Amino acid sequence: MRRITKIMSTALTVAMASTMLVGCGDTSTGTAAKKGDDGQVTIKLFSNLTDRKNGQGLVEQTIIDEYMKDNPKVKIEVEALDEEAYKTKFKAYSMSGMPDVVSIWGQPAFLDEVVEAGVLAELNPADYSDYKFVEGSLTGYTYDGKLYGLPRNTDIGVFYYNQKMFEDNGWEVPQTYDELLGLADKINEKGIVPVAMDGGDGWPLCVYLADVLFKITGTDYTSTVSNAIKTGDFSAPELKKATELLKAASDANLFQKGYDTQDYGAAMNLFTNGQAAMFYMGSWETSMATNEDIAEDIRTNIRVFTMPTVEGGKAAATDISAWNGGGYAVNANSEVKEEAIKFLNFMYQPDKLSKYGWENGVGLSAQDQSSYMTGNETELQKQIVDILSKSTNLSGTPINDQGTSAFKTSIESEIQSVCNGSKSVDDFLTAIGKACK
Amino acid sequence: MSKKKKAGIGRVFMWVILIAIAIVQIFPLIWLLDFSVASSTEMFTSGLLIIPKKIMWSNYSKAFTDGHFLLYLKNSILINVLAVILVLIASIMAGFACRRMRWKLSGFVKTMLLMGMMIPIHATLLPNYKIYTELGITDTMWALLIPYVAFSLPQGLFLMTSFIESIPVELEEAAVIDGCGIYRIIFQVITPMLKTSIATVSIMTFLNNWNEFMMARIYLSSDKWKTLPFSILDFTGQYSSNYAIQFAVMALTAAPAIIVYIILNKHITKGVAMGAVKG
Repeated sequence: MRRITKIMSTALTVAMASTMLVGCGDTSTGTAAKKGDDGQVTIKLFSNLTDRKNGQGLVEQTIIDEYMKDNPKVKIEVEALDEEAYKTKFKAYSMSGMPDVVSIWGQPAFLDEVVEAGVLAELNPADYSDYKFVEGSLTGYTYDGKLYGLPRNTDIGVFYYNQKMFEDNGWEVPQTYDELLGLADKINEKGIVPVAMDGGDGWPLCVYLADVLFKITGTDYTSTVSNAIKTGDFSAPELKKATELLKAASDANLFQKGYDTQDYGAAMNLFTNGQAAMFYMGSWETSMATNEDIAEDIRTNIRVFTMPTVEGGKAAATDISAWNGGGYAVNANSEVKEEAIKFLNFMYQPDKLSKYGWENGVGLSAQDQSSYMTGNETELQKQIVDILSKSTNLSGTPINDQGTSAFKTSIESEIQSVCNGSKSVDDFLTAIGKACK
Repeated sequence: MSKKKKAGIGRVFMWVILIAIAIVQIFPLIWLLDFSVASSTEMFTSGLLIIPKKIMWSNYSKAFTDGHFLLYLKNSILINVLAVILVLIASIMAGFACRRMRWKLSGFVKTMLLMGMMIPIHATLLPNYKIYTELGITDTMWALLIPYVAFSLPQGLFLMTSFIESIPVELEEAAVIDGCGIYRIIFQVITPMLKTSIATVSIMTFLNNWNEFMMARIYLSSDKWKTLPFSILDFTGQYSSNYAIQFAVMALTAAPAIIVYIILNKHITKGVAMGAVKG
C-alpha cells in the first residue's frame, strides 16, 4: 500500500514539475518570426516538400543552407508538411498569422481564396525582369493585375515509354489518338500493361482529360474551361468529346486493370519494373533516368512523347499541355517582410532554384534553363527540353485547378466514376457543373 | 459417447476459427516487417509477401538518422506517458467523486464529462488552434497534452466509475473508522483495487494517442515537440514516396505500442469484461 502511494505521488510530482518546466521555457511562440535585438533575423519557411534529402526538397534545402552561410545573421526555420496536410494547416495559419515564406500554387483553386483573404504580399514585377522567367509563367500568380508569388516549375503532361520494348515488339510511337487506342490491344496481347496510370489520386486523370481537351480546342482551351466553370454548364461539345475520349481509353484497356484504385507509386512501379510499356505523368519524373533503384536496361531506355493529335482537333502535335504548378510567396503581414522578400529573390536568382533543379533532374523550372545545359544530360532530359523549346502553344493550368477548391474536389472524384463506367459522360458533366455553383 | 464426439468436433472447429482469427490479426505485422526490409522497387510485385533479394537493413538505419527518430521517440514517450498519468489521476478522482461522494451535481458533472465521447475530434481542430495561438501555447508540449488528456478522459472515467461501483462500500467505511482522510481513501484503499482498470485505461489512452497525427500536425510547427508519426513525413516525396523506409519507420513506431500492449495485455481483457458486467 505504502509503496503504491509513494509511486503515485512521485509520478504526480514528476508530471507536474516537468509540464511546468516546459510551460515556462517557451514564451515567444507566435507564428511569424521575430527580429532579435542583435540584428538576428529568423525567417520561417512553410514548405510542402517534406523529403529534404531528395528531389525538390533537397534543392530547396541546399539553397536555404547556402543563404544562411552567406548571411550569418539570418536563420531560416523550415516547417514541411505533405500537400494535403499543408493545405489544412495553411487554412489554420491564415486565421492567426502565416510563416514568412510559404509554398503556394499558382492556380485559381488555391490562389483566389488566399489572395482574397489578404495574406500574401504583393511583389514588384519589375524586380524580376532579368530573372529569365519563361513567358506566361507568371500569369497564374497574378490576380487583378498584381503579382503575388513566383512559380518554381514548368510541368508538362507526357507519356513516358520504354523505347526498347517498343522496338522489340515493333510498336510505334502513336501520332494520332486512334493510333494510341490501337496500341492498347497490341500491347495487351503480349501480357504487358499499355499505360500505367495513377487513377487512385484523381488529378492525373484530370491532367489527361485536360491534355485531350487541349488537343481538341487548341488555344481556346482556357476560355472553354473558364466559361464552363463560370456558368456551371459543361455541356459544350468539346468537353463532352474530351470526356468520351478519356472513357474510350479506359474502355480500350489502355490503362492497367484496377487503375482507378492504384496510387502514384504503384503506377510508376508498373512502368519502372517493365510491367507497363508507358506511363502517363508530368515531366518532373525525368529523374527516373538517373534513379539507380530502377534496373539499368529500363532506366536508360525511357523516352517520352506528348499526347498525340485528335482527329478534328484544333491543336497541332507541337501544342503541348504545360503549366506552372507550385511556387513561393511571402506573408503580407510578416514582421520580417523585407528579409523574406530578399530570401525569395535569392532563391529565384537564375543560378539557384533553376540551376540546382536542373542538376538534380527534378524537372523544368519556370525560368530559362538553356544556359545550364552541360551536354551530360540524359537522353530523356534532352528530349523534354526539346519538346518544350519546339512547342508552339502551351495549354496552361489543368482543368481541375481552374475552379474553386470545391470544384477540384468534385472533378477529381467524379472522374473516376466516369472512367470506370459507374457514371455516364453526361452525368459526369452535370455533376462537376453543379460543384461550380 | 456421441456427446463426447460432438464436443471433440466443436473443439476442432473452435481451434480452426481461433487460428484463422489469429492469422488475420498477426498478418499485418508480418507484412509490415517483411516490407520494411525490402527495397522500394520490390514493393509492387503481385504476391502478398515478398522475398527481398537483399535484406535492406539500411532502411532502418536511414529511418533512424534521417527521420529524427530518437528525438521524436523521446517526445512521443514523454507526451504519452504524461497523458496516461494525468488521465489516470483525473479519472480515478473524478470517478470516485461522481460515484461515491454525495453532492448535488454529481450526476450532472459525470454526464457532462461522458458527453466528451460524443465530440468528434476533428471538429475541434481549428477552434482549438485559435485558442492556442491566443494563449501562445502552439508548438509546445501543452498543445498536444491538453487535447490528448481531454479526449481520453471520458473513456477513462467511464471505465473507472463502473469499477469503483464494484468495490464494497464497507471497505471505505472501515477506512474512515480507522481515521483515513479522503485522499488516503482514494489513493491507498481504492486505487490498489483498480489495478485491472488502470491497466485498461492506460493502454487505451496510450494506444489512442500514440499514433495521433491530425492534431499534432496542426498544433506543432518546429521539430522540438514533434511526435513519431512525423518521421514518416520525412520520407514522403512531393509526388511519390520511399515506401520501404516508410515501412521501416512504421515498424519502429509500432514497436513501443506493441510492447506496451504485450506487457499490459493480461489485464486489459479482464478489465473490459469486468467493467461491462458491473457497469
